[in-house]
Amino acid sequence: MSYSTTYQRGQYAQRRTGMSRNQNNTRFTSSIKLGPVTHTVLVALMITVLGLIYLTQATKATSYDYEAQKIDSQIAELSEEKTDLEVENARLTALSNVRESSVAKAMTKSEAPAYVNN
Amino acid sequence: MPTEILINRRIRILAVTCVALMAIFVVRLFFLQVIMHDKYVADARAEQEKRLIIPAERGEIYLMDDGKPIKTVMNQTVYTMFVDPSIMDDVEGVKKAIREIVGGNTVKDYQDRLDDDTQYVAVAKQITKTQAELVKKRGLKGVGFQAESKRVYPENSLASQTLGFIDFDGMGQYGVESKFNDQLKGEDGLLQTITDVANVPLTIGDDSINIPAKKGTDLVLTIDRSVQGYVEQALADGIKRTGADSASAVVMDPQTGKILAMANLPTYDPGQLSGIKSYAQVNNGVVTSPYEPGSVMKTFTMATGIDMGAVKPDSTYVNTDYIKVNDRTITNATKGQTGTITFQHALNWSLNTGMVTVAERLGDGENINLKARKTMYDYLYNRFRLGQRTGIEVAGEQPGIIPTPEIPGAANQYATMSFGQGMDLTMLQVVASFSAMINGGTYHTPTVIEGSMKDGELVSNTEQKSYPGVIKSSTSEQMRQMIMKSRGAFASSKDRKGYSVGGKTGTSQTFENGEIVEGQTIGTYLGFGGDTAPKYVIMVQVSGKNKNLGGGDHANPIFTDISNWMIDYKKLQPKA
Repeated sequence: MSYSTTYQRGQYAQRRTGMSRNQNNTRFTSSIKLGPVTHTVLVALMITVLGLIYLTQATKATSYDYEAQKIDSQIAELSEEKTDLEVENARLTALSNVRESSVAKAMTKSEAPAYVNN
Repeated sequence: MPTEILINRRIRILAVTCVALMAIFVVRLFFLQVIMHDKYVADARAEQEKRLIIPAERGEIYLMDDGKPIKTVMNQTVYTMFVDPSIMDDVEGVKKAIREIVGGNTVKDYQDRLDDDTQYVAVAKQITKTQAELVKKRGLKGVGFQAESKRVYPENSLASQTLGFIDFDGMGQYGVESKFNDQLKGEDGLLQTITDVANVPLTIGDDSINIPAKKGTDLVLTIDRSVQGYVEQALADGIKRTGADSASAVVMDPQTGKILAMANLPTYDPGQLSGIKSYAQVNNGVVTSPYEPGSVMKTFTMATGIDMGAVKPDSTYVNTDYIKVNDRTITNATKGQTGTITFQHALNWSLNTGMVTVAERLGDGENINLKARKTMYDYLYNRFRLGQRTGIEVAGEQPGIIPTPEIPGAANQYATMSFGQGMDLTMLQVVASFSAMINGGTYHTPTVIEGSMKDGELVSNTEQKSYPGVIKSSTSEQMRQMIMKSRGAFASSKDRKGYSVGGKTGTSQTFENGEIVEGQTIGTYLGFGGDTAPKYVIMVQVSGKNKNLGGGDHANPIFTDISNWMIDYKKLQPKA
């Protein structure tokens, strides 16, 4: 009976302290105490930092928009130049231009070709 | 009152005031952020979000050139130059820039509006990017540019009636531009996004939409640029030679139904619409203007007679230069070939009596009875598909008419139809059915669509239909020989030797308000050419106000010119 009582006491003691038997345990207690104002300031600071991180990312994404817009403009400009060159090429090689060219005017009409039948 | 109590009371008042103020702020913020939330979000969106329609680029049109597609109708970005008189500080500088750089594109009387109390005065239209850049370099204040797309036609008037043009609303008019407007115009895109003050789209917000514009289909036509160019030149030369007011021609590949050239003069430049003076210039008469083709139709009567076994080329009849059909006497235009003659001879001399005789032999041999008329109708309408739309892919095609066999006075009507009168047909119908007559007997639906361009490659058109068995292949062979002999009788002296070239003349009367116009006829020539098989069919028509133009004297030389050129262009080799 006496043994049983002792065991129960031991169980209770372990549960209360959260310690295990035959284990070296140390409890550290900070000498700095944070009050409610400090907590509030720290939370505010954390929110601010998170906000800044968000703003940085959002600005970064927007800066990519400007870069993309710049590249799009360059593509559009180059496409326009390509089209202009194609139109110019088509005009220069148009039948009416070819006919009026000095090379064409200097040409003579070909004779009917002769064919050899084997 | 002790000081401590006084201070405490003041603190309490301050605290209550602060709480009251905070409460006001909270209530106000609640009102703005919760109750008015939707309104302010909508207002902000309206301010920040832009909804832009991205205009689709119109599909381009290609012609073939020696088997390769080349761009013939293109798009180019051009600019409208405008000024804002309210901020313009160097009027003389602006005038000088306009004069020196964009002189040819100025808006009429723009100088009078430079002092207007407005912020927008268009001063020059359709200027090029280079011109716009040169003006920009001068750094003139109050000068701006608006970009817009313009249809350009590097080949000027070439094939313009087949191509059509774009009106000021961007809608296709005439030709393939009208027929394929829906496919060519593409689908506009949509950009809905938050933008900054400079309208730069930003990737923020959840409602951004970016649907790219879909360019219209790039169409490739069967029209061969070189053939078209030569045909137009040959028609222009022909008009000069004959004094005709107008001329038309169509060139077709009889083995495929592809139209290689389709031309009508006078014509117009789709890039210079202000130069159009009359409807005749934009009208593609080859498909829109049915007429009595005249004696070229004698070939169809002969084909029907031979295919039905009623006659042969060397069958004979007695020609007296006239023939009676009911109460009407039909005479030959060319007289003197009387006596017993063959139908080949009748075709060579284009004798009406011969063709009426063929029509009679399709019946009881004496009359153009119902059986004969039904047979002729079956061949002309059902087999050769004359008097109905061919389905060519250009706007405005007309069906023409082949009178039915049961109409009152049908015998007389069919008698005249046997030599090409009393029916209205388009040149395209005649060319397509003539091709079937000489290619072995297969009718190919005429087409101007070669296909479309996809990723720089030509994707062929697969929708074209063919109808074999129009006539027997033996009939087709006999018709080729007959038509070659017919041409050989009078018109082949200038043909290149060693090639198979055949043709038939046609001279038709003209009508105004149902009455024959005296002293005014239309000349037509219909023929083919090739080596071992027909490689091209050409039909030429010339006409003019108060001018007697004939198939032999006026249309045939144009045919010969084009035919000889086609032999070289197609690199045909003469027969041994």
